[in-house]
Amino acid sequence: MPLTIQVERNTDPQRAGVVTIKLTGSLDTATAPELDRELTACLAGPVNDLVFDLAGLKFVSSAGLRLFSIARKQIVQRGGGHTSFINVQPQVAEVMAIIEKLPGFALFRDIAALDRYLDSRRSPSAGKG
Amino acid sequence: MRGVESLQEFARSRGVPEKTIFALALALEECGSNIVNHALKRDPQRTFHVVIEQAGETFVMELRDDGPPFDPTAAPDRPQAQDDDLPGGWGIQLVRRNMDEVRYARAGDENILRLTRRLDPAAGGK
Repeated sequence: MPLTIQVERNTDPQRAGVVTIKLTGSLDTATAPELDRELTACLAGPVNDLVFDLAGLKFVSSAGLRLFSIARKQIVQRGGGHTSFINVQPQVAEVMAIIEKLPGFALFRDIAALDRYLDSRRSPSAGKG
Repeated sequence: MRGVESLQEFARSRGVPEKTIFALALALEECGSNIVNHALKRDPQRTFHVVIEQAGETFVMELRDDGPPFDPTAAPDRPQAQDDDLPGGWGIQLVRRNMDEVRYARAGDENILRLTRRLDPAAGGK
């Protein structure tokens, strides 16, 4: 199963520096180099927070987890940003359970929960969900 | 990986639930890539063999390669990744989580890795 990668830079001034990467298909040994190239290009730019939308991701192996972790480290080193995941399918979530407690990772049920969290970083009154 | 696709086709033809197929495919993907990287040194001319077998409610995958001795089951069991983990340790953790039994043997010049998963959760499968 191939992997499709869509990179979207947030144009909302309130969300400057937030980049969303939508993954569809299978992230495994064969397809991980494709994401590696995209991440390298993406992280060469001004990125503060990285969001992976995994609604269409059907399969992930440790090759994918390694890339998520590498991205996480780079984002953290840039000043404490987060690498977030939304719309994670149940079986992909089970695989990701092995890394989800690493510092700098955050899993959210959907985009609304992520939005609340991003808002909360500007306004202490909103909550993480 | 071609072997993973063959496994998925075989398991679907046997009516194995998709959740179980995901687990089997993940285990084969992890062990197969381990063999390619460690035993075969990424040499595209070299191959390894996989035998997939369903016997009743038990699904078995046996992987054989002729590389130097390499026992992936010797890796320590660390269910949660650590911030300073080196690449390569997470695959075997995923295999352990998804298989009921993981056994390694060295026979002659071969590494033999035998992965077993019970299909019926009521019988203790995952």
